[in-house]
Formats: sequence, C-alpha cells, structure tokens
Amino acid sequence: MRQKNVCAAWFSLHLLLIISFSLRDTLWLVAHGQTIFPSSFRNYSQKAEGIASAVLCQRLAASNPVRQVLATYLHVAGIETGYGYFAPNVPGSYKLVFELHYPDGRIEYELPRVNSSAAGLRVAGLLDKIGRTPYDALRELLVKMLAQSIWRQHPEVKTIRAVFGSTRLPSLSEFERGKRESYDFLYAYDFSLREKPAEPEAVK
Amino acid sequence: MRALKERLFEFLFPTESDAWLSILRVGLGFQITLYSLSLRNDWNHLFAGADSGLVNRDLAEALLSIESRFAPRLGWLATLGAHVGLREETVLSILWICLLVAGCGLIAGIFSRTSAILAWFLHLCAAKSGGFVSYGVDNFMTIGLFYLMLSPLPDRYALDWQLRKSQPEDSPLLGFWRRVLQLHLCATYFFSGLTKCLGSGWWDGSNVWRALIRPPFNVIDPEMLVRWKYLFPVAGVFICLLEIGYPFFIWSDKTRKIWLICICAMHAGIGFMMGMYLFALIMIILNVAAFGPGLVRLQRESTSLRPQEAVA
Repeated sequence: MRQKNVCAAWFSLHLLLIISFSLRDTLWLVAHGQTIFPSSFRNYSQKAEGIASAVLCQRLAASNPVRQVLATYLHVAGIETGYGYFAPNVPGSYKLVFELHYPDGRIEYELPRVNSSAAGLRVAGLLDKIGRTPYDALRELLVKMLAQSIWRQHPEVKTIRAVFGSTRLPSLSEFERGKRESYDFLYAYDFSLREKPAEPEAVK
Repeated sequence: MRALKERLFEFLFPTESDAWLSILRVGLGFQITLYSLSLRNDWNHLFAGADSGLVNRDLAEALLSIESRFAPRLGWLATLGAHVGLREETVLSILWICLLVAGCGLIAGIFSRTSAILAWFLHLCAAKSGGFVSYGVDNFMTIGLFYLMLSPLPDRYALDWQLRKSQPEDSPLLGFWRRVLQLHLCATYFFSGLTKCLGSGWWDGSNVWRALIRPPFNVIDPEMLVRWKYLFPVAGVFICLLEIGYPFFIWSDKTRKIWLICICAMHAGIGFMMGMYLFALIMIILNVAAFGPGLVRLQRESTSLRPQEAVA
C-alpha cells in the first residue's frame, strides 16, 4: 500500500509538470498573438503564462537549487517541452549557403553537409533554431561553427561568406499560378582564415 | 473520500499482463537500433567537441548547464575517457557501439533492465549534448526509455525470462506504468491538438500543404500534391479532431480501436510523406504499447468465447 501511495504521489507531480509545461507553451502562443484568438486575450494569457512559469519555478534565478533540480528531472524524463509540433501554424524554413572564395579567385557554393537523411533532418532543425533565436551573438556563433566545419573540408579556401535566408513557401493558389519557393535574405557573415578561422565580420 | 481514493487506485493500479511491456521493450529496441544505424556516418560529426564537430558540442553543453548542471551529457563521458587516455573520437565511437548493443539487448530481452538504463542514458547524453540538432523524436525516445527502465522488467517474452529464470514483478506495478504511459500520451495529443486548433491554417488545410512542401519534408513532388488539394482541409480538420479527441475516445472499448488505427495511420502518413520515419516509428510504438494489447486480448477473448457460447 505504501508503494502505491508513493507511486501515486510521484505520478501526480509528474502529470502536473507535463500539463503545466504544455499549458504554458499554449498560453505563450496566445500571449504572442500567434493564434486565432482576438488580441484582447493576450493580456489574460500573459498573466496566466506568468503563473504557469512561476509554478514551474521558471521565475527563480537560474542558479537556484530548486530550479536546477526540477530542470534536471524534466530533462531526464524528457518532459521539458510542450507538444505544439507544427502548431498553431507551420512555420517557414531557413537556408544557409556558404560562398567559398579561393586564392585564385574561384568561387564555389556549399551547403552544410551530412551523410544521411536522418542527419539532414537534424541540420534542418539546427537552421530553424539559428533563424529563430532572438540572440544575434548566438546566431553568429552557430553560423561561424558551421563555417568552420566547411573550412575543415576545404582547407585551401581563403574567405567564406555565409548567407542566411528564410524560405518563402507559396500558398496552394500561388503555386497553381506558377509561383515557386523563394528566399528572403536575412543575414550575411564574412569569415577570413588567418592562422585559424578569424572572428566573423557580420554584414546585415 | 476513501471510496474516491480506492477508485483512483483501482484506475492507477489495474491488474495487467506484461504484453504492453514486451511491445514497448522490443519497439524501443528497434527504435534505438535504427536511430544508431541511421546516424552511424554522422555520429562523430554531429556530437564532437571543438575542432571536429558540425556545431561545437561544448556550446550546447554550456547552454544546458545554465538550465541544469546535472543533466547527463557526452562531455562527462569524453572527460572520463580522456582520463584513461582515450581520444574524444574513440570515446564517441565506443558510445555509439554501446548504444547499438543496448538497442539489440532490448530487442532480445538480454539484461533487459541494464540495456534499458544504458539506452536511456546514452541517448539522453546524445540528445542533450546535441541540443541544437535534436528534435521531437529525441523527446519521445527519452520519454519511452524513461518509463521502460522504471517498469518491472523483464517481461515473459524477454530472453532474461527464458534463460535466467528472472521473474517479472507484480502486475499492479505493470498496470501502473502502463497507465503512466497512457495518460502521458493523452496529455501529449490533447495539447498538440489544442495548439493546432488555435491556428487558422489547420482549418482551411493550408498547414497540411505547407507541411508537405516545406524543406526538408518535401518528399512528394508538389505538382502531384496539387491534385489532392481538396483533401487538405479535410485532412487538417481530421488531424485536429483526432488529436484533441484522443483523451476522450481512446479509453472507450467502442472507439479505442478506430482511434488507435487512425492515430497510427496518421503517424505512418507523416513518416512516408514527410520522411520522418524515426518520429513516426516512436509514436506508433508508444501508442501500440499503451493502448494496443487490450484490443488484441479483447479479440482473443471474444474468439475463444464463441465455442463456449455455441455449447451453451
């Protein structure tokens, strides 16, 4: 009986965490105007999201032991995110193209390269994360790392320009009228090789 | 109050056979094996640290440390390997082999508990250290492996049972862990369906179209998809209703079978039409393990009853 009580108590807490995280993510979407709800709902959702975040100890300092222990549990149980896949709407995707400049003036184009379609899905996810991050420094650092991996494959390259863009998907009716997928330029970064890949020079 | 508690405990701790656990163990064994094999040529490239990885693993681990310093990561194992003179590349290769062995161990049911813990730990390390390259499939694999390693292994179809005469634990705990998985799936689908319902694109089918033409999920030629355009709104609404209705219709004997088939068909469709094979597989495994065995048992019972009814 005692074992059952412990199991039931653990599961209550576990389920509460799952629901709270999912609810918080849903409320975040409403609060940021990404849903069909009218804008009058935003304030309420923001407040409710704040309460959900507080319940999940997300308002505590990052170094707080309670928050650290809870975060560890969430990670090991795989419940640290909500479940809004492709919701409320399917976002566009991103594309990263490297322009490789050789010492003889030759220019080649290269994409981030992996060997399997399973890894390809992961790289596409990485580009989405680069595109969506609100932190310019993190975006630049990630692009720099990808450029470095290209450099290892082409050590003779003198400079690399990384061009990051978003994919604009045509609607069904646009597609029927002949419009196809297009790209919007977002960022470009120039990297030059001295002794090792140098600090990037960002061009927006 | 006591009666309520008793009813709650009856629900949470039903007497169960271990058929669901066998499905979960074998299914996750296949999932881990396919996961390892699918990444065999990119494993070191995806998860290496400075100077050889696609994205430096140290960055993902540093960001993870802000959230949790104790979440498992590959960096710990690489450091441990460095202490005994192993290069990072060697450590990563050993870990890949261990993960593959753990997957095969789960399929066969050899050292079931050890294999489950090893698979959970190594996959978690890879998912956390490769945070920038992980996606939904990693979440659901962690969830499935977490429940599997805590469940009362081995099940009767495991080689452990046959060879080492290990006996499974009591059935109320078997029932409890199945309930945990069932309720988790209900929460997952409900919120997934709810957030989809809040987007206009699922009601008019435009999100179905976008999902199918969005790189890298554009497996099918859009020219071919256009011919099926009238089905997109139906498919969008169907997906919303299927997901949000899951926690309400999956429990009833009358609707469970059709709901389970539809959900599995939806995931199979996502797998084949969008190239997300591993994601489709893990979702089908979790669903069939959680809600499948009862259906098979019900069918067998009704089949076995027929002769007796005829005699009566």
